[in-house]
Amino acid sequence: MKMAERTIKTGWPVLLAMALTALTCPAGFAGEAGPSTPAGRVDFANDLIPVFTKAGCNAAACHGAAIGRGGFKLSLYGGNPAADYEAIVRQVEGRRVNLARPEESLIVLKPTKQIAHRGGRRLIDGKEGAELLLRWIRQGAGLISSRSLDRVEISPGRHVAEKPGASIELRATAFFSDGSKQDVTRWTVFTAEDPSAVEIDSESAAAKMLRRGRQIVIARYLDRVTPIELIVPLSGSKPDLSAEPRRGFIDRKILDALSTLRLAPSPGADDATFLRRVTLDLSGRLPTVAAARAFLARADPKKRRTEIDRLLASEEFSEYWTLRLAKLLRIHSGADGELVRSGQGARKYHQWLHQQVRDNTGYDELARTVILATGDSHLVGPANFYRTVKGPRKQAEFMSEVFMGSRLRCANCHNHPLDRWTQDDYHGLAAIFARIESGQLVKVKASGEVIHPRTLERALQRIPGEDFLGADLVDGRGKLASWLTDPGNPYFARAIVNRLWKAMMGRGLVEPVDDFRATNPPTHLALLSSLADDFVKNGYDLRHTLRTIALSAAYSRSSKASEENKSDGSFYSHALRQELEPEVLADAISDVLGVAGSYGEEPKGTRAVTLVDPKTRSVALDILGRCSREESCESPAGSTGGLQRKLHFFNGALLNARIAAPGGRLDKMIKAGQLPLSIVEQFYLAALGRYPKNAESAFWKEQIGENIPADRHRELLEDFVWSLLVCNEFVSNH
Amino acid sequence: MFNPERCDGVSRRDLLRVGGLSALGLGLGDYFRLQRLSGAENSPAAKAKACILVWLDGGPSHIETFDPKPESPAEVRGPLKTVATKLPGVRFSEDLARTAGLIDKLAVIRSMTSTLGEHNFGTHYLMTGYKPTPVVEYPAFGATLAHVRGQAGVLPANIAVPDFGIGGSQLTGNGYLPGSTRPFSVGGKSDRRGFKVRDLDFYRGLDLARLDRRRKFVGALDKFSRAKDASAGSTSDPDLERAYKLIASPEAKRAFDFSDEPEKVRALYGDQRNSIGQACLLARRLVERGVPFVTVNSKGWDTHQDLYSRMKERYPGDKWALLPSLDFALSGLISDLSDRGMLDDTLVVVMGEFGRTPKLNANGGRDHWPRAFSVVMAGAGVPGGQVIGQSDSLGESPKDRPVTPADLAATIYTLLGINPKLMLHTGDGRPVRVAPDGSRVISELIA
Repeated sequence: MKMAERTIKTGWPVLLAMALTALTCPAGFAGEAGPSTPAGRVDFANDLIPVFTKAGCNAAACHGAAIGRGGFKLSLYGGNPAADYEAIVRQVEGRRVNLARPEESLIVLKPTKQIAHRGGRRLIDGKEGAELLLRWIRQGAGLISSRSLDRVEISPGRHVAEKPGASIELRATAFFSDGSKQDVTRWTVFTAEDPSAVEIDSESAAAKMLRRGRQIVIARYLDRVTPIELIVPLSGSKPDLSAEPRRGFIDRKILDALSTLRLAPSPGADDATFLRRVTLDLSGRLPTVAAARAFLARADPKKRRTEIDRLLASEEFSEYWTLRLAKLLRIHSGADGELVRSGQGARKYHQWLHQQVRDNTGYDELARTVILATGDSHLVGPANFYRTVKGPRKQAEFMSEVFMGSRLRCANCHNHPLDRWTQDDYHGLAAIFARIESGQLVKVKASGEVIHPRTLERALQRIPGEDFLGADLVDGRGKLASWLTDPGNPYFARAIVNRLWKAMMGRGLVEPVDDFRATNPPTHLALLSSLADDFVKNGYDLRHTLRTIALSAAYSRSSKASEENKSDGSFYSHALRQELEPEVLADAISDVLGVAGSYGEEPKGTRAVTLVDPKTRSVALDILGRCSREESCESPAGSTGGLQRKLHFFNGALLNARIAAPGGRLDKMIKAGQLPLSIVEQFYLAALGRYPKNAESAFWKEQIGENIPADRHRELLEDFVWSLLVCNEFVSNH
Repeated sequence: MFNPERCDGVSRRDLLRVGGLSALGLGLGDYFRLQRLSGAENSPAAKAKACILVWLDGGPSHIETFDPKPESPAEVRGPLKTVATKLPGVRFSEDLARTAGLIDKLAVIRSMTSTLGEHNFGTHYLMTGYKPTPVVEYPAFGATLAHVRGQAGVLPANIAVPDFGIGGSQLTGNGYLPGSTRPFSVGGKSDRRGFKVRDLDFYRGLDLARLDRRRKFVGALDKFSRAKDASAGSTSDPDLERAYKLIASPEAKRAFDFSDEPEKVRALYGDQRNSIGQACLLARRLVERGVPFVTVNSKGWDTHQDLYSRMKERYPGDKWALLPSLDFALSGLISDLSDRGMLDDTLVVVMGEFGRTPKLNANGGRDHWPRAFSVVMAGAGVPGGQVIGQSDSLGESPKDRPVTPADLAATIYTLLGINPKLMLHTGDGRPVRVAPDGSRVISELIA
C-alpha cells in the first residue's frame, strides 16, 4: 500500500471526532455494521461472544462460574457483554489483548492452547473462531455494536422421521434490531437431552435419531434457549385410533400425540378399577363395600359421570384436597428454626384452607389472599404463609416454586444457567419479601432489604422476568399478586393445572412439577396451554379442571400395558400406577381392618388425612414415609426405605396389631359365623373395590375352603387379610 | 515465539507449583506421583473389603480429641489435659489415652478444611465429598459401595447403627441411587445380649411358617393382579423377599446377638453401657459376615455448652461420657480387628461434619468451626503412625497441607477399590462422578 494513497483528512472536526472515539474505545472506529464477512467489522457482542459461548468458555464449569476460573471471569453464556469486554480488554492491565502484536494476546494463545490452558484447546488456530478473534484485535478490539439481537429462530421446531437412523439438519437464524438476519447455526450449541438417543454432529449441526420415541434437543445461542422435538414413531404401522372415544380437548390432544408416535392405547379400565381410582383421586378414600357393590350392579351408562359429580361435592373431597394443598403450601407447626413449636398458627391456617376448598374459592383469590396476608398468625390463617420458611431469599424460592412452578434457586449466585432468571430477578423478588416482618405478627415493615451480591447494594424490588418496581414502593406484594393472577401470566395457571394433572394422571405434563423452564418443555405443549386457558376462563376453579380431567377417556384408560406400549411413561397410552400417599394408605388400612389408627393425642377415630401437624406422633406414618413439609413434598420421598417397611409389615404392629383385633372387620365376620369365601369376597370389595376373579376364588377355596379344618380358618383368614394389605394392587392406585 | 513449556513437558505454571511443594519436603518425583494419584488411575493395592465409618454427629471438637493445643492460652486450651503418644510431639486428649496407645496403627489428618459450618451442609459434604446443591443429592459412601458391589448375602450391604439420623437428618444416604442402597437402620437400644433389631423378631403369635405363607399369598395376589399386564416385570416384590430372607436367616440374626462373643473381646469395647462401643462391636460382627459398609452413628458431639461434662464426665463417677466411650470403642475396634487379622481388609474412618471454635464460648462450650478439623483413618493398608498436615498454634486454620472433604472422599473411594472418576447415573440418566472433579487422593494414606 503506497503512502500516497492513504491520505487522511486532518481538518479539526475529524481530529475531534477521532479523539472522541479514541476515548470511548481503545482503538478503531465506531459504526461499520454488517455480518462478519472477511471484509466486515467484527462485532464483539454479536460475533465474538457467540464464539466464546459455542466454545464453552463462558459455561458454568469454566470461566462462566460465579468466581470464574484461573482469575478470568466471563458472564454465564455471554449474558453481560459489557462486563466480558472489561474482563478481556481492561483487566490484568490489558495483558489479555495485545494490540501491537495481536497473535500474542493471551486471549488468543490460551484457547488455541499455544500456551498451557487448563481448559484445553477450545479454538483451533486458523479456523473461523480464532480468526474472528484475531481480526477483532487487529481492528482495535472495539466494543460498540451496530445492532442488537432481537430473537433466534430454530428450524425445525419439530420433526417426525420414519425410522431410526434418519438425520436432520438443524438451523439457527438470528434476527437483529436493525431488521437484518444471519445464520448462526455454527455458533449454536445443540444438546440432546438423551445423548444415547440422538447423536449430534457439532460441525454440521445434523441430528441423527438413534432410537424410536420422542427426543428433545436443546438449542442454545448465547443465552437464548429453544427446545426441538424429534420424533421417530414407535412402530411401523399407524394404529387405528378412529374408534377411540374423544370426549373433549384432552382426548383429542392425547390421541394426536399417540397417533404421531404410532402408539396404540390400552383399552378403558373396567368399572371396578375406575371406581377405586376416581374415589381415591378425588376423595383420598377407598369406595366402601356397599358403594362398590351398588356401582358395579348399576346399568346406568352415565354412572361414572354421576359418581364424579357426587365425589366433587362431598365432604371427603374437601378434606382430602385440603391435605393436598396443605402439602403444597407446606403447612407445618413451627417455622424453620423456631424453638417453640406452636400449633396454633398451623391450625388456623389449615382451617382457613379447608374453608376455601369447601367454598370452592378460585385459586387466584386463594393465592392473592395468601400473598397479601398480614396480621396475627395465630388469628389470621393465611398470614402463616410468611412463617413457612425463614428469610426473604427462602421466601422467594418458596413462592416461585409454589405459584410459578419454577426454581429460581440457581439465580441466587449467577444468572440461571438453564433458564431465563437473572440475579436481579432472584434478589429483586427477595427484596419484596424482605419488607415483611414474619414474627407471630406478620406485617409490613418500613425498612428491610437484601443485599444484591453483585452490586453489594440494596437489591431493588422486582417482579421476576419483568420490571423493577418503584424505589419508593414499600410493599411490592400488591404488584406481585396482580401480576401472578393476571390471566396473561404464563406461569401461575400452568403451574397449578400441571399439578392437578399429575394428581389425576400420575405424571405432570412438565416434570418435575416445580421445575418449569425453557430447557424442560412439556410433553404436550398445546394440551397444557388449553388446560391452563380453560382453568382461567372458568374462574381458576379447581373442581372444574379436576372434573374435566376425570371425564376424559385418557383418564379412564386401563393401567394394564400392552407389549407395544409398556415402555411408555409419558404419553398416557395406559394409566400410570402410583403409590398411595402415606396418609391415604394409613387411612385405607384402618378402613379395611375396621380399626382406627391412633395419632399422637388426637381423638380416637381421627383420620390421618385430616392431621394438621405433619409431625404428629405416629409410627405408622413414619414407616410409610410421610413428608415433614420442611422442604417441598414434591420430590421423591425420603421414606424409611422399602426393606424397613416390609420388615415392619411382617413383624411390626401396623398390620399385625389390628388384623385380628376384637371388633374389627374380620373378627365381626367370624363371630357372625360367615363362611370363609364370603369373608374373602367382602375383603376384596373393601380393599380392592372388586369381586375376586374365578381363578382367585378357586385359589382361596383351596387355601381356606372346605378341605381345611375349621379351627384353622381364623389363622388362614388373618394371613389372607395381611397379604391383601401388602399386595401391590392394594398399596397402589392403578 | 516464546516457548511456554520446558522440554520435559512441565509447564511454567506447574513449575511454580512444584517450587512451592519443596517447602513441604517433596521433590519433583513426589509431585509427579501426586499428579498420577489425583484421580487418574486406581491404585491397585488399595482394595479394602469393608469400611466402618464412626460418625461423630454434631461436629467433634478437634481440640478436645485429636489435635489438642496444650501450649495455647487457657481459653483455647480448654479444660481437658493431654496425653503423649509414641510419636514425638504428638499428643491426644487425655481421655483418649487408649486410642493414643495405638497411634502406630492410625493416620491422623489435622488439616481438614471446609467452608460449610451448618450441620446438614457439612454432613452432606463430609459424607459424599460434594457440597450440597439443589440439583441433586449425592449418595454417601455406603450407598455407592452397595451399588457398585451389590448385596452378596442376606444382610443389607449398607447398614447404620443405630440409625442414619445424622446432621439434622436430611441426608437420605442414597441420594440419586436406588432406594435399596439406603442404609438399613438397625435401630433400638443394645444391652448385654446385643442389639434388638426392630421387627426382626416375630410378632407375638407369628412364626416363620406363617410369614412364609403370607409371603406366598402376596406373590399369588400380585400374579393374579398383573396378568395381562405387559409392564409388570417379575411379579415378586424384591423388598418383601429381602425382608423375608433377613427374618428367616438365623445367621443374620446371630450377627446382632452378642452372646457368642467372648468376655475378653467384649471388655475391649467397654461394657454394655458404652453405646458407641456396642455399636462398634456390632459393626465388626457385620463386617465379619460380609457387610461392606457400616456407619456407626455416635450422637451428641455438638457441644455448644457444658463441654467438660458432656465430653469427660457427666456426673461424678460417670464412666461413659463421650470421650471415654469413644476411647474404648475406637481402641477396642482397632485392636479387635487387628487381632482377628481383619485390619488390612477393613478401612476405619472417624470423623464428624466440622470442628469447633478454638476459643471457648460464654457457655463453656465451643461452636461450629469448619475451617480446621481432624479426621482419623486406620486399616486397609493405610500407613499408621503418621500425622498429615497441621493446624496452626490456635487450631484455627490449616498451617499446611490443607485437605478438603472432596479429597477425603476421593481417598476413601480409592481405598475401597472404587475409582473416584467412576461415573454413576441418576434416575433420568444424568452422569455423575463418584468423587468431585478436581479432588485429589491423599497420597500419604495410600501404601
